[in-house]
Amino acid sequence: MITHQDSMHILLADDDEDDRTFFSEAIQELKMNNKLTLFKDGNELMDYLVHPDIKLPHVLFLDLNMPGKTGIECLKQIRANTRFKDVSIAIYSTSSSEKDIEDTFIEGANIYITKPNDFSSLKKVIQEVVNMNWQFHSSGLNIETFFFST
Amino acid sequence: MKILGLYKNSQIFKIALAIAIVVVCYIASVFYSQMQKLDSTVELIANSNETQLELEKLLSVISIYETSLRSYIITKDEAYIKNRFLSRGKIEQNIKNLKKLTSNDFTRSQHIDRLKKLIDYRFKLFRQTLIIAKSKNVNRLELNSKLLESSDVTEMMKSFVSKIIFSESAKAKIQNNNHQFELQDSITTAFLLVILSLVILFLSFNKMNVDIEELKKANDKLKLLNESYNTAEMTAGFGHWMLNLETSTYTFSDNLFRLMGVEPNAFEPNIENTIKYIHPDDLDYVTKVHKDSLLNHQSTSMTFRFLTPKGEVRYIMGVGSFTKDGNGDLIKIGVNYDITNQYKKTLELENNNKELKYINTELEAFNNIVSHDLQEPLRKIQMFISRLEEKELDLLSQQGKDYFSKIRVAANRMQTLLIDLVNYSRTIKGDKVFVETDLKMVLDEILQDLSSNIEEKKAAIEIGKLPTIKVIPFQIKQLFINLISNSLKYSKEDIVSQIKITSKKITEKEMRDYKIINKEDYYKIVITDNGIGFKQEYAEKIFLLFKRLETDPKYSGTGLGLAICNRIVENHKGFIKVKGEPGVGAKFYVFIPKGDLL
Repeated sequence: MITHQDSMHILLADDDEDDRTFFSEAIQELKMNNKLTLFKDGNELMDYLVHPDIKLPHVLFLDLNMPGKTGIECLKQIRANTRFKDVSIAIYSTSSSEKDIEDTFIEGANIYITKPNDFSSLKKVIQEVVNMNWQFHSSGLNIETFFFST
Repeated sequence: MKILGLYKNSQIFKIALAIAIVVVCYIASVFYSQMQKLDSTVELIANSNETQLELEKLLSVISIYETSLRSYIITKDEAYIKNRFLSRGKIEQNIKNLKKLTSNDFTRSQHIDRLKKLIDYRFKLFRQTLIIAKSKNVNRLELNSKLLESSDVTEMMKSFVSKIIFSESAKAKIQNNNHQFELQDSITTAFLLVILSLVILFLSFNKMNVDIEELKKANDKLKLLNESYNTAEMTAGFGHWMLNLETSTYTFSDNLFRLMGVEPNAFEPNIENTIKYIHPDDLDYVTKVHKDSLLNHQSTSMTFRFLTPKGEVRYIMGVGSFTKDGNGDLIKIGVNYDITNQYKKTLELENNNKELKYINTELEAFNNIVSHDLQEPLRKIQMFISRLEEKELDLLSQQGKDYFSKIRVAANRMQTLLIDLVNYSRTIKGDKVFVETDLKMVLDEILQDLSSNIEEKKAAIEIGKLPTIKVIPFQIKQLFINLISNSLKYSKEDIVSQIKITSKKITEKEMRDYKIINKEDYYKIVITDNGIGFKQEYAEKIFLLFKRLETDPKYSGTGLGLAICNRIVENHKGFIKVKGEPGVGAKFYVFIPKGDLL
């Protein structure tokens, strides 16, 4: 677990090591005031979250296709627990299939991001999502604004 | 013709025949009574004649007696009075006969009674005269007066008799006239009777002939029908059977035997003989269904197998139903239909279907690999390229930089290719849900999505009047994205690219060329650009998969974009046409049916 000391707490669960690296590098280059915690898979993420002492994250970036516990399973578990009702969840996946978008929307994810294929886009996405006014975004939640396009 | 028609109607014929018979009976009875009358007339005439004869005889006897008496008086010869003279026996006989003859007529019998009295008186006179004549002292005066009286009485008698005879003969004459008349009548009646009988006979015979002719015709027709039915059964591969439930007898059609693989009438049709040809595995089921139906009289329908003596298995569809025949007997009629070919075909089809489904799943899996698994490493390659470009590009030589740029272009091209492939496969897959969609809104969205691309090409895009259509929304969006992207891609570098999207009316020429029956059946949307265009001869080819017209590397197409367009329009049961002119531009015409043609 790599942890960045800051006020805003961001989590990323992704089984791909390269993607985790890109993500943390992007956060670093953005020089944002936040703390990033990385997880290798769904189980690791859930083990961390169920711990009662932790400080709840602001945003969770969740990959869908992971060994062990998949992203959608994590999403269901998190949304089933009222303790995490204020945690914003951004799906972070290569897939852009209608089915995945719809399923995660129904299960209560806040936004859906397809992994960009260049680094500058990645930085842009992270910046926008992290700085998003979640209050506003969640209240007017609909499937059209759910899918985030760069 | 009308009469012939009536003739054929046996009901009317029956009525006519009944009337004719009644008429004949009537005439016969008239004839009988006439004959009866004739008979009595003849009797009356005979009676009258006989009466006359008897009277004549009577008179002649009286005359003979008178003559004998006279002769005796003159000659006194005993010989004249010897021979039973004055015996009344003969006359009594005559009177008896007359009495008998006139017994049924009061006046006549009265006449005879009077005659008898006259005769009695005459005989009395005979006797008195004879006594006087025989006496020794013949009193001439007395004798003469007696003789005179006798002669008067005789005359009176004679005139009385001749009066009776006259009346009898007058009567006889009338009778004779009547007789003639009645005879004439009877002849006419008899003739009528004969004619009428002959007519009836002739009509009956003719009717019978006609009936027989018709019966023969009907029989011939039935024979032909039966024959054609047999042929039909053979051709269509079905056979039928009948069971009379009252008599428990079965009838099998020829082809039913053939279905069992034997010659027609190869065995006596009954259950015991038939079950030998039913597949052992189906036997219990078939007999149960059949026997149950005989109890509840419900229609049956089942599929089973015949096993022919040669070991061939035939799949049979059997249906049975109950009805009543002409005698009111309950019968079960069954039709067995050879469905072996259909069954085999269905089996084959099912197998093919399974295979197709398997191939489909494979294809879907393959599709997933392309869309997800292949994109994953590619995205990473692109990511690393962008990292290198940002940080390490300066460290490379010029040639290295060139190579690196080519790597980036190739990777990007591969990405678009993968995206197009995914899009194309999405147009093939199912879940096609049609929704009323405002094309104007779709186009607005697309312009948003393509904004960077449009800006880059500095294109002016004009959106005209567009309808709301029932379409598959994501596909129709893809269609216009591809068409506009296509126009952008093949735009000219030196002038401002102008792209116009609008709906237009279908022209008469288009109706003729594309066989559109009604103008109102289709929406027509035209996408016009002022790009590099193409030769019209390639118009059909550009919609083919992986078909690219431009080989210049600056037009980096995948050959999938327009194929996807074609596919999408086809999914909407429409069609897409294009007109191109090199150096002037291209016009795409999208025709999408309105209403329920989808």
